[in-house]
Amino acid sequence: MEKQELPLWKKLNFFKSKETAQNGWSQVVADDRNAETIYRKRWNYDKVVRTTHGVNCTGSCSWKIFVKDGIITSENQQTDYPSTGPDMPEFEPRGCPRGASFSWYVYSPLRIKHPYIRSQLLSLWREALTKNNGHLVKAWGSIVEDQDKAKQYKEVRGKGGFVRAEWQEVNEIMSAMLLYTIITYGPDRIAGFTPIPAMSMVSYAAGSRFLSLLGAPMLSFYDWYADLPPASPQIWGEQTDVPESSDWYNAGYIIMWGSNIPMTRTPDAHFMTEVRYKGTKVVAVSPDYAENVKFADNWLPVNPGSDAALAQAMTHVILKEFYVDKQEKYFLDYAKQFTDMPFLVLIEKEDTVYTPGRFVRASDLGLAVNKGEWKPVLWDALQEGPAIPKGTIGQRWDSTGQWNLKMENESGEALSPLLTFLGLEDEQICVDLPEFTEGGTGIVKRGIPVKFIMKNGKLLRVTTVFDLMLAQYGVKRNLPGQYPIDYYDEQTYTPAWQKKHTNVETELVIQIAREFAQNAADTLGRSMIIMGAGINHWFNGDTIYRAILNLVILTGCQGVNGGGWAHYVGQEKCRPIEGWGTVAFARDWSMPPRLQNATSFFYFATNQWQYETHSMDGLKSPTVTKSRYSHPADYNVLAARLGWMPSYPQFSENPLQLSTKAGQAGAETSEQVISHVVEKLKDKSMSFAVEDPDNRKNHPRGLFVWRSNLISSSGKGHEYFLKYLLGASHGLLSEPNEELRPEEVTWNNAPPEGKLDLLVTIDFRMAGTALYSDIVLPAATWYEKTDLSSTDMHPFVHPFNPAINPPWEAKSDWDIFKSLAKAFSTIAKEYLPEVQQDIVAVPLMHDSPGEIAQPFGKVLDWRKGEVEAVPGKTMPNLVMVERDYKEIYNKFTSLGPLLEKNPVGAHGIAFPVKEQYEELKKSNGQITVPGVAFGRPAIETARQVAEAILTLSSATNGKLARKAWEDAEKKTGMELKDISAGRAGEKFTFKDITVQPRQVIPTPVFTGSNQGNKRYSPFTTSIDHLMPFRTLTGRQHFYIDHEIMLEFGEAMPVYKPTLSPVLFAGKEHNPLTAGKEIVLRYLTPHGKWNIHSTYQDNLHMLTLFRGGPHVWVNHRDALQADLKDNDWVEVYNRNGVVAARVVVSHRMPRGTLYMYHAQDKHINVPGSSITGQRGGTHNSPTRVHVKPTQCIGGYAQLSYGFNYYGPIGNQRDIYVAVRKLKEVAWLED
Amino acid sequence: MKFTEQFLWVIYPYIALTIFVVGHIYRYNTDQLGWTAKSSELLEKRSLWWGSMLFHAGILAVVGGHISGLLIPKAFFESIGVNEQMYHMAAVYGGGPAGLVTLAGILILTLRRFGNDRVFAVSSAADLIVVILVLIEVSLGLASTITNVLSTGSFDYRETIGPWFRGLLFLQPAASFMAAVPLVFKLHVVVGFGIFAMWPFTRLVHVWSMPIEYINRAYIQYFSKDLKVKSFH
Repeated sequence: MEKQELPLWKKLNFFKSKETAQNGWSQVVADDRNAETIYRKRWNYDKVVRTTHGVNCTGSCSWKIFVKDGIITSENQQTDYPSTGPDMPEFEPRGCPRGASFSWYVYSPLRIKHPYIRSQLLSLWREALTKNNGHLVKAWGSIVEDQDKAKQYKEVRGKGGFVRAEWQEVNEIMSAMLLYTIITYGPDRIAGFTPIPAMSMVSYAAGSRFLSLLGAPMLSFYDWYADLPPASPQIWGEQTDVPESSDWYNAGYIIMWGSNIPMTRTPDAHFMTEVRYKGTKVVAVSPDYAENVKFADNWLPVNPGSDAALAQAMTHVILKEFYVDKQEKYFLDYAKQFTDMPFLVLIEKEDTVYTPGRFVRASDLGLAVNKGEWKPVLWDALQEGPAIPKGTIGQRWDSTGQWNLKMENESGEALSPLLTFLGLEDEQICVDLPEFTEGGTGIVKRGIPVKFIMKNGKLLRVTTVFDLMLAQYGVKRNLPGQYPIDYYDEQTYTPAWQKKHTNVETELVIQIAREFAQNAADTLGRSMIIMGAGINHWFNGDTIYRAILNLVILTGCQGVNGGGWAHYVGQEKCRPIEGWGTVAFARDWSMPPRLQNATSFFYFATNQWQYETHSMDGLKSPTVTKSRYSHPADYNVLAARLGWMPSYPQFSENPLQLSTKAGQAGAETSEQVISHVVEKLKDKSMSFAVEDPDNRKNHPRGLFVWRSNLISSSGKGHEYFLKYLLGASHGLLSEPNEELRPEEVTWNNAPPEGKLDLLVTIDFRMAGTALYSDIVLPAATWYEKTDLSSTDMHPFVHPFNPAINPPWEAKSDWDIFKSLAKAFSTIAKEYLPEVQQDIVAVPLMHDSPGEIAQPFGKVLDWRKGEVEAVPGKTMPNLVMVERDYKEIYNKFTSLGPLLEKNPVGAHGIAFPVKEQYEELKKSNGQITVPGVAFGRPAIETARQVAEAILTLSSATNGKLARKAWEDAEKKTGMELKDISAGRAGEKFTFKDITVQPRQVIPTPVFTGSNQGNKRYSPFTTSIDHLMPFRTLTGRQHFYIDHEIMLEFGEAMPVYKPTLSPVLFAGKEHNPLTAGKEIVLRYLTPHGKWNIHSTYQDNLHMLTLFRGGPHVWVNHRDALQADLKDNDWVEVYNRNGVVAARVVVSHRMPRGTLYMYHAQDKHINVPGSSITGQRGGTHNSPTRVHVKPTQCIGGYAQLSYGFNYYGPIGNQRDIYVAVRKLKEVAWLED
Repeated sequence: MKFTEQFLWVIYPYIALTIFVVGHIYRYNTDQLGWTAKSSELLEKRSLWWGSMLFHAGILAVVGGHISGLLIPKAFFESIGVNEQMYHMAAVYGGGPAGLVTLAGILILTLRRFGNDRVFAVSSAADLIVVILVLIEVSLGLASTITNVLSTGSFDYRETIGPWFRGLLFLQPAASFMAAVPLVFKLHVVVGFGIFAMWPFTRLVHVWSMPIEYINRAYIQYFSKDLKVKSFH
C-alpha cells in the first residue's frame, strides 16, 4: 500500500505554487484525493444479503442489502428474477425510491431501540404490586378497576412520558393484563391487529398464533381498510384474485380506473408503458390529472364517486350493440356458460306491482333432488323447459362429485341455456326498478318477457337475469315501459344520462365502451380494467365495482389472460396460504380461532355508531316501503345474532365461565352445554356483547398492534379512537346524535372513555400508534429478521433474511411473542393452572356447509320467533374449545397434533399433511422437553416457521399441489392433476428462495394457474378447466337475490350517488369562521413519497416535496378561500381537524380536496386553532359508514370469511371546510 | 533564585509550549474528524448567539492588545511617537471594554454550557474544563487591567512581562523580569500557559482552521490522481 502522507504535511502544500489554467480561473488542487475515501467507504460492503420490504406496498421486490463491519450501508435492487419467457418484458429489476431509502430507518432517530412504558403506568404498577404483595393479577385489577388510577395513565396517552423498561418487567405487566382480563371478562376481550400476512408472514403469525391460543380474536384488515371490494365475493365468491402485473402485457385494451399505476404500483408500471408499444390502447378514468393520465390515449375526467354512472352507461352501450343489435357469439357463449345470465328469477306481484325477486330453485319446481333449495335453474332450449345445470352450490355440497361448469344438466345430458324469453314469452309485464340520483330515489317501470310455470296450483312468473338486465339498463326491445329512445335520451342508464352525474362527454363514453367491447370480441377477451382504491373506498364502492366489472364479464374477458379486472390495493396474496393459515391461527392445536371483522369492532369500540347522520330509510330501495331498520348498527346486531358475521367480544358473560355455569345447571355433555347457552340467549338472560357495547363488562380491554400504524394510518375516525378507545386528548367536534338511535343496541348517555386498559405496539418506528401506546416494544426491521413475502403482482415467494442482528434491544416479532408466551405460561401456572372450557361462537363460514345454512336469502330471525334457534344453522355455531393457559409457550413453539389427523387447506380445497408433518420433524427437529409438545416438530425460530409454512403449502410444495388438485378432481369430476404435474417434484426450502426467486406452483386454492410459465390471471381455471365459481349458481353473478340486497335495490348493479354532505349536524361545535372558507370533498388517495405512513417521516422522502402534511386544492377553489400555494390551512368537519400546507394545483378537479394517505402527526404538524391540539392526521376528518348489505351472511357467496366479507370501513363520503391558518403555532413551549 | 521562580517562569512555560506545538501536530495528524469547534447550535441558539458573538469580538481585540503589549517592545512605540501616556490611555479605554465584552461573552457561554441540560449532556470533560479556564483567565486579565489602572506608574508590564515573554520566544529566558510583577498578573500568566498546554486537546484547535485558502483560490478546482503529473496541457 502506498504510504499515507500525514495531514499536516499535506496542509503545507498550501504554500506550494499551484498549476493553473484559464487565466487562473481553474487550478489543480494541491492535495491528494484521500478525502474522497470517506465517501467511497460509505458504499463499501463486505456482505450482500437478500431481503425485501414488508410495507404492504404490493411490490414485494427482492433487494440486496449491503453490510460493512456489521453496519448496513445501503440497498439495491435484485436482478435475478426467473424469465417471463420470450416476447415478454422481464420483472427485473423491481423497486422504487421509497424502498431504496429504507436503510435510513435502521439507525434513525425514529428507531425504537428499547422497550418503553409510559411512566405513569409503571409507577402505578410498581405501587400496586407492593400493595398486593406481588400478586400480579390482583395488582393489575387494582389499577384498571380504579377509575382515577386508570385515568391517570390513560389521559396522558399520546403525550410522551415514556421510560425505558426491562423486557422481563413489561412481559410481566402484559401477562398480568392478559390473565386479569381472561379471568374477569374473558379472552374475547383481548384483540390483536396486524394486517396483510403476505408482507411478512412469520411476523403476522407470531402474534396471531399467540392470541389464537389464548382464544383472543384477531381483527381483520382488508375490509377495515376498505380495500376489500365486496363486489368480488358478491360476483365471484372469491375474496380477491387478480392477475400479476406482467399479464397487463397480454392485454389489447386497458382502462386504468381509479388506480394511479406509476405512483402506487411503481415497480410494475413498466408493463403498462411497454404494452403501449405493442399498440395496446390505454384509457385513464380519474377525477384529477393524475400521474397515470399522461400515459393515456383518452382521459375520462369523472366526478369523484360517480364512476358507477360511467360504467352503467358503458354497460348500456355494450348490451345494446353486442347483445341486442348484433349478437356477438363469443360474448353470448361466455355469458351462457360462465355467468348467471340464463338463470331464472321469480317475478313477485303485489297488487298491480311487479318486482324481481329471488332465483328459481329446483325445490320451487317440486323436483326431488338433494339440496334442491340450493340448485337454481335455467331454461334449456333443447328440452324447452327448466333444467338444473351442473356447478351450482347445491352440487357443491350434495357430494355427487359433479360440481363443474360443463354445459350439462344433473343427469349429464347436454343443455343449451336460453338467454331471453323474448319471442317465447307467455306475457309481457312491466317491473318496478329502483333508480337512485342525487335528487333522491325513483322507480322506473320497464317491460320484460315472462314465462309461466305452474307448480302446485300456483302460477310462477319467471324471467331470465338477462331480460332483467336489459330492462335495468334501458336497452329497448319493443317492450312496454319507460325505455329511452336512444343514447341521447337522458334516462337510466344511457350515455347522455351519465353525463349529468359524471360530467364526461356522451360521445367519449360511447366510443370507449364500443372500443373496449370490440377489442374483446376481436381478441377473445383481452380487454382489461386496472382498478383500485380510488373507486373502492366509497360507501357504495361495491355497486361501483359491480357496475365496472359488468364490462369485463359481459365481454368475456374475465378468466382470460390479458383480460378482466386487475384490482390492486393491498398486498393481498399470501401464496403459501394453507401452511401460513395453519401456523398463524394455531389450527394445529385447536379449532376454531376467533376471527373478528374489524369494521364492526372499531365501529362499536370507538362509538362511531352513536354519531350516525344517515338513516337507512333514506338509502333503501324505493321499491320497498320501509327499511328493516333505520340504524346501520341494528343490521350489525342482526348479523351477529343470525350467525352472518362474527361478533367479539362475544356475549355479556365470560365465555370461559359458560360451561361451568351450564354444569351447575345440570348439563353434562357438550351438547347439553351448548343448548344451555342457546337457552340463555333465547330467554335473554345473556345477550350478545354487541347489543350493549358500552357496558364495562362488554368492551375490549387489551389490544396488541404490530406491523401496523393503526391509530394514525388506518384509524378512520381518528378522533373517535382517541376519545373512546384511548381516553386521550382529542379534537372531536361532534356530539352523539340521539335522534338516530338503534333499536337493538343499548344507548349509553355517558359511554366509557379509554376503553382499552392496555395498548401494546410492536414497531421499529416511533410513529402515531406507538406514541399513543402504553407499552412499546422494539421490533426488528425488514433487514434484521427471517420471514416470507409474496404479492398479487408477481408469482414469486421472497425471503426476508437478516443482514444484521437486530440492534440495541430489538427483536423479531416472532421472538417478541415467543418471550411473551414464555412469561405468560410461567405466570399462568400460578394464577390459572386449570384447563378451561371456552365456548366460541363462530359465524356461518364461506366454503363450509355453513354457506348453505339459510336458504332463499330470506331473513328469518329466531329472536322474533320466525325460526328455531339452531347453532350453525339459524344462529352462530357454538364450539367448545379447551384452553390450557400454562401450556401456551409449548404449543406456540411446536406444531400441534391436529396436523396428523385434520387436513389443511383453503378456499374449500383440503388435503392431508401427515407425511409433511413427519418430514418437518426431521428438517426442523423435534421438541425434546417433556410435555404436550414432546416429539413434535419445532417452530422455535422464525426460520423453522418459514420452513413449516413452505412445506405445508401447495403453492410451494409440488406434492401438496398434486394432492390439492386431486381433491379438486374429487369435487368437480374434472381432470385437473395435469396442471401441476410438471412440478410435482419441487419443494421450496427457505434456502432455495434465498438463492434465487422461484415461481410458485399452480394450485387450486387460487382461481388461476401459471401452468407452463403462463402469466397468472384469476379464474382461468374456471374458464379453461370448468371449475365453478364459489357462488350460488357456480357462475359469475350479475344478480344477487338476498332479501337485504333487494331491500337496498342492489339485486343488479346500480348507480348510487355518494352520501349527502354533512359538515356539522345539530348542536355540534362548529368553529366560528374567522375568514373565508370553502367546503370541499375530502379524499385520501395514496401518495408518491410514502407507503401508508411509512417513509413519509424518512429524511430522504421529506426532502422531496413539502416536507410535512399537505393537501391539494384546485387553483380556483383556492382563490375563493384566499389561499396561496404553501399557505397553512385548517381542514375540518364534525369529526376533527387537520392542519397542513396547501398545494394549489390545476391538476385538481374543482370541489375536491386531496390529502394523500397517510400523513401522521409526528413530523412538522402545527397546532390547530380550533382544537388547540396538534393538528391531527389525515384521518381526523374521517369516519366510517357501515353498509347493511355488507353484513349479510349464511348465504352462498355472501357467507362470512375473515377478510373476505363484512362491512368495509369506507371513509370517502366526507366533506370538509378549509380555511387559512392565520397563526401557525408549533405548541413547543 | 528560587527553584519555584525558575520553574514557573522558565521550565513551566517551555513545557506548556512544547505540549502546545507537539500536541497540535499530533492531534492534527491523527484526529482529522475531531478537529472542530463541535457546534451545539442545534441544541440551543439564543444564548449561544450572544455569548459567542460577544466572546469572539472581544477576544480578537484582546489578542490584538496582547500582541501590542507583549510582543512589540516599548521602544518601538516610542520611536513612532506613542508615549507612555498615550499607550496607557489606549490600553485602558481600548483594553478595558474589550475585556468586559469578552468576559460577558464567556460568562454567557459558561452559564449556557452548565445550565442548559441539552448542551451539558453533550459536553466532554475537556469542554467543561476549558470554558472554566478561559473564564478564569479572562477574569484575571480584566482584574490585571484594573490593577494597572489603579496603580498609576508604579508598575509597567511592558518593562517586565513583555521582555520576559520575548525572552522565552528568543530562547533567552530570564525569570528575574517576573520578580516584581503583581500577583494578579502572575496568576494570569500561569493560567494562560495552562490553557496553552490544554489547547491541542480541546475544541480550541478550531482557532487554527480559518479557511483563508478560499481568499485566493481559483473558482474551478481539479483533483489530480498524481500531483507530480502535469494536469493542464
